[in-house]
Amino acid sequence: MSHVSHERLTADLLRPLEQTSWRFYLLVAFLGSIVAMGLGTWMYQMYMGFGMTGINMPVYWAFYITNFVFWIGISHAGTLISAILRLVNAGWRRPVTRCAEVITAFALMIGAMFPIIHLGRPWLFFWLMPYPSQRLIWPNFRSPLVWDFFAISTYLTGSLLFLFLPMIPDFALIRDRATGIRRRIYGVLALGWRGTTKQWHRLETAMQIMAIAIIPVAVSVHTIVSFDFSMAPVPMWHSTMFGPYFVAGAIFSGIAGLIIAMASLRKFLHLEAYLHPVHFENLGKLLLMMSMLWAYFIFAERLTTWFGNDTGEMNVFYVTQRGSFSPLYWTMVVCNLVIPFTILALRWLRTIAGCVVASFSVCIGMWLERFLIVVPSLSHKYLTYSWGHYRPQPVEIMITIATFAAMTLLYTLFSKFVPIISIWELKAGDHPSAALYPAPMHEHKLGETHA
Amino acid sequence: MAHKWGMAIDQDRCTGCGACVTACHAENNIPTVGASQAARGRAMHWIRVERYWEGEFPDVKLKFRPVMCQQCDAAPCEPVCPTYASHHTAEGLNAQVYNRCIGTRYCANACPYNVRFFDFFNPEWPRPLDAQLNPDVSIREVGVMEKCTFCVQRITAGEIQAEAEKRGVKDGEIQPACAQSCSARAIVFGDLNDPESAVSRLARQERGTKLLEELGTLPKITYLAKQTQA
Amino acid sequence: MDRRDFIKLTAVTGTSAALASCGNPEHQLIRFVPDEDITPGIAEWKPSVCPICSAGCGVNVRVMDADVRTVRSGQAGVVRMNVAKKLEGLPTDPISRGGLCARGQAAIQITYHPDRLAQPMKRDGARGSGSFKPISWDEAIAELVSKLDALDDRKALAIVTRPHRGNRDALFAAFAQRVGAPAPIAYELFSDDVLRHANAASYGKAQLPTYDLAKARYVVSFGADFLGTWGSVVAQNAAFGDMRQARPGVRGKLVQVESRMTTTGASADEWVPVKPGTEGVLALALAGKHDIADAEKITGVPAKKIERIAKELADQKPAVAIVGGPALAHTNALFTATAVNELNKALGGELLGFASHNAQLSTLSAQPFAALADAKLLLVDEANPVYGAPKAWKVREALEKIPYIASFSRFVDDTTAYADLILPDHSFLESWTDAAPESGSLDAKPISAGPVMKPIHDTRATADVLIAVAGKLKTPVELPWKNGEELAKSSQPSTVDRRQANPAPPSAGRQPTEWTDPHFDGAASDYPMHFLPYASPAFGDGSTAHLPWLQELPDPLTSAMWSSWIEINPKTAEQMGIADGDLVDVTSSQGTLRVPAVVFPGIAPDIVAMPVGQGHEHYTRYASKRGANAASLLAPVTEPETGTLAWAATRVKIARAGDADGSLILFAGEKYEKPHDHETR
Repeated sequence: MSHVSHERLTADLLRPLEQTSWRFYLLVAFLGSIVAMGLGTWMYQMYMGFGMTGINMPVYWAFYITNFVFWIGISHAGTLISAILRLVNAGWRRPVTRCAEVITAFALMIGAMFPIIHLGRPWLFFWLMPYPSQRLIWPNFRSPLVWDFFAISTYLTGSLLFLFLPMIPDFALIRDRATGIRRRIYGVLALGWRGTTKQWHRLETAMQIMAIAIIPVAVSVHTIVSFDFSMAPVPMWHSTMFGPYFVAGAIFSGIAGLIIAMASLRKFLHLEAYLHPVHFENLGKLLLMMSMLWAYFIFAERLTTWFGNDTGEMNVFYVTQRGSFSPLYWTMVVCNLVIPFTILALRWLRTIAGCVVASFSVCIGMWLERFLIVVPSLSHKYLTYSWGHYRPQPVEIMITIATFAAMTLLYTLFSKFVPIISIWELKAGDHPSAALYPAPMHEHKLGETHA
Repeated sequence: MAHKWGMAIDQDRCTGCGACVTACHAENNIPTVGASQAARGRAMHWIRVERYWEGEFPDVKLKFRPVMCQQCDAAPCEPVCPTYASHHTAEGLNAQVYNRCIGTRYCANACPYNVRFFDFFNPEWPRPLDAQLNPDVSIREVGVMEKCTFCVQRITAGEIQAEAEKRGVKDGEIQPACAQSCSARAIVFGDLNDPESAVSRLARQERGTKLLEELGTLPKITYLAKQTQA
Repeated sequence: MDRRDFIKLTAVTGTSAALASCGNPEHQLIRFVPDEDITPGIAEWKPSVCPICSAGCGVNVRVMDADVRTVRSGQAGVVRMNVAKKLEGLPTDPISRGGLCARGQAAIQITYHPDRLAQPMKRDGARGSGSFKPISWDEAIAELVSKLDALDDRKALAIVTRPHRGNRDALFAAFAQRVGAPAPIAYELFSDDVLRHANAASYGKAQLPTYDLAKARYVVSFGADFLGTWGSVVAQNAAFGDMRQARPGVRGKLVQVESRMTTTGASADEWVPVKPGTEGVLALALAGKHDIADAEKITGVPAKKIERIAKELADQKPAVAIVGGPALAHTNALFTATAVNELNKALGGELLGFASHNAQLSTLSAQPFAALADAKLLLVDEANPVYGAPKAWKVREALEKIPYIASFSRFVDDTTAYADLILPDHSFLESWTDAAPESGSLDAKPISAGPVMKPIHDTRATADVLIAVAGKLKTPVELPWKNGEELAKSSQPSTVDRRQANPAPPSAGRQPTEWTDPHFDGAASDYPMHFLPYASPAFGDGSTAHLPWLQELPDPLTSAMWSSWIEINPKTAEQMGIADGDLVDVTSSQGTLRVPAVVFPGIAPDIVAMPVGQGHEHYTRYASKRGANAASLLAPVTEPETGTLAWAATRVKIARAGDADGSLILFAGEKYEKPHDHETR
């Protein structure tokens, strides 16, 4: 891959901000209308009563919690990929990091909506916040839901910081090229960036700190989300391995989401020069590795359950493996293991298109996995007289679809106002400054596959 | 000493008639959800009489088991409620504070007995059915959880009356609606802190077990197993 | 200022205040002045009598104040009243002993039912359409009086009621007799008259027995669901509980002999399935009066089991045998009842007694409604034969031809939908009520109670209406009581003998303990299954299907709510590819019903069972057009001696008609506690 000149680089990466085609407006209108329908559906649900959903006794959590866990899971891609790759100085991360971090930010925001959407009295959601209330009572800090509140807000704050910091030099770049109101807005966002060595140093230090700090936060978030399940005495929820299982699953689905996002950007914003097949290959290999890890967790869980033959757990085991949920269960296995393995293990299939197909498959599979954790267990608890079933209702389906539309919409809008690939980082990759990097470190250049 | 309210349910007396279920509806203003909502699994029977078949015709048996909130001393529904709507009282009851409930429904998932119910819609009582409502029990609005309270309104009324008369509560004086209506006297309610109360004596019987005891919930209802003839 | 001016003043100021505050018409309700003492928030407990079944449980009613919407002189308004809030058993009552069954608990909803008739109604459309328009009491009474006066022949006045309603029976009997009309036709689907006949022959008492179960060591019940729906259920449950666990170290054993598992069968220690109609042979075999090997052939019960139970019966005393329900719903019912009486004699019989009051014997002919063909005027009181009588008796057709029908019903049900005039009675809580328990306790006495609350609608006590109507006739008729209170408090002669109305056909000259085969309607080749309709724990014979708590009460054995269903043995269901909820066509010689199936382990492969109670065309918003009416499949087979309907004698064929359509609503998710336990590794 030949290098592009920096001028060309800047022009290419700023073009989406400076030029808008009718396709953009059409896409935004289309997505916007779906999101609006989703919001309207939520208003309808609040007005008519929560009974508009398919929730019942005993399946008290279903689509909304599935979506919650799914989107929080997706959010792990960004930060972990970005942070880990930064820490190990993997050069091929440069065009990828902002795409990833944006996924995190928006997926978190969307995911965090769901605990509110799924409340019976959502207008009182703020009671989860620890403020001196007139009720003279704090939230119950023993509750995993309150842990969720803290974990997610911490992660969201951290991710937004982690996203924002490296955007500063790019905001400055735009500011310098812009006029009028755009100059003013980007000027504010650039926080007075002048590009001095001291500022670069401070930026890099801050990003190092954030990269290190965000990893445990990210791990803790999905662990705490997993605690929502493992802390309850529900068959096949009360498992000691839910923490690592969920984190692994989150990274898995996150990488898939990232590949899809990157492939879309590459195609629609014409970033072929910056997002190369090797990026997708590398992410594809990571995806393959996570697929193996996911399969390992599932195997460990299933074998342990079957071997232990606990009555309550076997009821759930049977209903997922060969009962009413088995079509979904085996679809999940195919989507999470068979298809990704086939595509990603075979080099000639590990193309960009192949990676995208594998990623879509994983997204479907991982959504199903969340659903299959929540619903079969709740519908088959210890007292068999109270077993039930669940059927999603239009409000739940509409809101679910709307969140996918919202993610796409937010992403689209973001890429209209901020360069989706970090311009200064790409440039810095070509000419690493001694001031930025410790001297002995040698860095991978774009296109290189070995040190 | 403070009371510790508990129950003993004798499965050798229970005949599955369901009077307890209807009495509970009458006493606690439980909404009738109607056929289409019942079909969606939203019927709200704070107490239900479980039935389980065993065997195959002609050697077939059927067992009844009334199940309501076990008022667990280590209730899994309590630590998970973010707003302390589900909490433990000094008399050992698991109280559900409707005003604090924001409807996360975590408590219902955590409850292994499936005895917690959610108000999916605002309840409706076509007039004049609303004239029958018990003024001692609040009406729950849409979005909150509800469950058996051991008829806490009757407990409170009994305690207040006893205090006014400057005496202790007599064993058997306070009867939740289910226990009161049972014609076979299968449900016995009383103070587990009084070793001579009827419920304490029944709880000590050899054929007494606790439901899902292995989960460590410390339920306060002792089930007396159906005896077999010698 | 008198009260009228006060009310007007309140009305005017109230209305103007309301108008001033907001324009919402809802808030323009007039608040009427209460016409009784109200102590807010303080409950009073008053006695009453539950009318739902003939057990006659004494009820304790919690009465507190509440706002009730009402209409006075055409003005809609609200008034604070003392109203019933909860029903409980009266602790001092020997029948209820403080307990109450599910139907008794739900009875309070009769008073507050949103579809209760609030005033007299006149037909306003085609006969049977169920459309009525409100009229005043003066108009209604005047109309009924004029119709009665217009009758040339008083013999053309027919009255249809149900039996065993205490002094209310005497009211209508006296009215009929003094007006010169034939005795009322007192019909109920699940009649125990065969047992009364048998007891008259065996014990000299035409009455249901009272069983001292609390003292029993061994009980054998032949078909009687005495803990669920048969007899004096509350009292029997109380005695059963004591039989089990009230005597330290002593526990009575229950053996239930029946074709379909009931709640009583579930409570039994041993459940003995028998071929329908053969219970009597088993009883005789247990009494040592029939060859056991032959009994095995007839009943299907293994000989070893018969021997063992016979031995246990002999060893474990005191013992008693009970008979009722489907066992007495066959053509050989009299034989069965007599056979069980023989068994009781062999067992000693000290646990079988008779309450002091009231043997009620009514012998209906094999076609009790034949007289309706000649009727020119029909009065209907607390009866629903259009619903509960076999189609072959053509009750509906007869009603269509009767020129004038008046009903005292509180609701528009299938029969009252054919009325021209409805004069709705109070609910029992608003009225003087009485009961004369025939069984349940040897200490049972007739009881009466006054209203626990004022009427909330413009209804009138039927006794008062009938007495008034009788007095207003051209040749006035005086009834023995001045009003409902006097009627309730009066004590009636212990036997109401209606035999003179419909003489029983002569006996065939058979010895009562000679085994008679039961006869069934329908050849076994065309109709391979036995059809067993049964009294529903929630609805009885259908009379309480309109109460929402009971519709939503999960059936004890199937957990079904708001539904009709047919119970099919699991192997039969599997052979026919039928799963829970799948639609099945059930066909007898009388017609076909399409109902969802419930796979039911407690029934033989060649029997299907269906609860009675749903399938009303008219019965308020909660029961109208819901489910199917099991009684509509019944063939008019009768027991030859007494003429009672042999409702377990119909055969049917079944066919899978389609996939589940959601009409079967189950509360339970699973039938077995450990569904995978049978899987070994």
